[in-house]
Amino acid sequence: MALYDDSITGTFLTRRGGAARRDMAFQSNQFMTRSTDRADPAQGIEGVLLANRDRIIRFLQVRGAGESAEDLFQDLWMRLTERATGPIADPLSYAMRAANNLMLDRYRSARQRELRDKAWGEASDGHEPSAEASLISRQQLKQVQAAIAATGERPAHIFRRFRVDGASQRDIAQEMGLSLSTIEADLRKVYAALAALRRQFDAG
Amino acid sequence: MPADANAIEARAIDWLIRQRDPDFDDWDGFADWLAEDGEHAAVYDALASLDRDLGALPRDRGNVRIAPAAPSDSPAPRRPSRRAWFGGAMAAALVAVIGVSTLNPFGNGTRIETAAGEHRTVALADGSLIEINGGSVVEIDPERPRFARLESGEAMFHVVHREKDPFVVETGDARIVDLGTAFNVVRRARQTSVAVSEGIVLYNPDRDKVRLVAGQAIDAGDDDRRPPAVRSIDVSSVGGWRSGLLVYNEAPLALVAEDLKRTAGIDVRIAPAAASLSFRGALIIDPDRNRTVSDLAALSGTTARRQDNGWILTR
Repeated sequence: MALYDDSITGTFLTRRGGAARRDMAFQSNQFMTRSTDRADPAQGIEGVLLANRDRIIRFLQVRGAGESAEDLFQDLWMRLTERATGPIADPLSYAMRAANNLMLDRYRSARQRELRDKAWGEASDGHEPSAEASLISRQQLKQVQAAIAATGERPAHIFRRFRVDGASQRDIAQEMGLSLSTIEADLRKVYAALAALRRQFDAG
Repeated sequence: MPADANAIEARAIDWLIRQRDPDFDDWDGFADWLAEDGEHAAVYDALASLDRDLGALPRDRGNVRIAPAAPSDSPAPRRPSRRAWFGGAMAAALVAVIGVSTLNPFGNGTRIETAAGEHRTVALADGSLIEINGGSVVEIDPERPRFARLESGEAMFHVVHREKDPFVVETGDARIVDLGTAFNVVRRARQTSVAVSEGIVLYNPDRDKVRLVAGQAIDAGDDDRRPPAVRSIDVSSVGGWRSGLLVYNEAPLALVAEDLKRTAGIDVRIAPAAASLSFRGALIIDPDRNRTVSDLAALSGTTARRQDNGWILTR
């Protein structure tokens, strides 16, 4: 609801002000359009990577790449340019997400190496660490399921719809007749429970 | 673990949840957060890694669960009685609802849900009218003809007054009791706003006892300890969404965006840097949405840019 306050005269005055300034808004719109045109599919993802090189490298750095950020940018370049992709709505966002995944893959490979070294002499099977392989055991996955269930029926259901079925928060809110903030709060609750469980895994 | 570590974890969880949205694009905001403290990336990695392993969780069994209409933690007495309802009575109660009402399997009421931008008018048996804005959920109950519940969203009520049988609108945990009137109610996340254009309403007669006459409004937060303060408003702008005119006086941009979504199905997102800006002025819902959004941008000192199926306002 609007905060109904202004008199109608005030309303029309502000509206005129809006019309007068609209041209400015359009100009900046055009400017924005031009700058994203570099992301034109014709130029491909390369154009986006080049145009945003500094931004992506800075992201890789703060994401934990440190000195190797430049090398990882090359990795990212290979990953994104070798793969044939359809049209991408927001190529920069797509590249950033890929950069984020790249860093997560690195983390997981390192973790796996760590776990394997820990288990050295027990059951080392000589597999190379891979980012795809699960880092938690079947037993731990069961504990995860139990922890999700323990948060309550509604949060557990919402979490399943969100994380397992891939439903959006908005869709879940609609189908359950709940507010978005309730959905969000429940998701946070389940994730917090899982974060606590993860600390136990690490300690154990 | 120390409190600040918990806070970091909570932030990392927020990022994870947000990033699951395919439209997430606040990577710069995420980078800023990571840059704040080297520890942030480590906490995020640990959680994101666990999150990825959750991909191994089995999908739900094939049966489709119907979720209860109301949050399970809402107080029980609010639900309508469980006696059987009569289809005939319900058909009579609904005049303008065309085949879209769905029956709530857990109560006896009828649930009316509107999509963003979809406006609907419901005529009740007593002659009262409810005009429902888009993106809203209203529940009515044929057994209780003088009652309606605004689950979420916004609706304008034109109530036929009966001396001994006041019309009650429930929203959140508030009750709004009419004393012969037309009034607009908005239910947002943990907040209720009421604006009266005719007659008198009582807000929470048994708790807050706030009396609103035509030209007055309140905004009540669910967690407020005191009764909401009454402010003056322009009667002609009450329920302005019905005619496509939204009037604001220093409203947060996020609230304006919420109203645009509900009233006209316009998707406007507010970049974090612009989130603190407030808006004062009137917006006309123009058939040309570009126009409405560029008005909003010009009046709030922001820049509107197309994004996906909507717009984003940046500073």
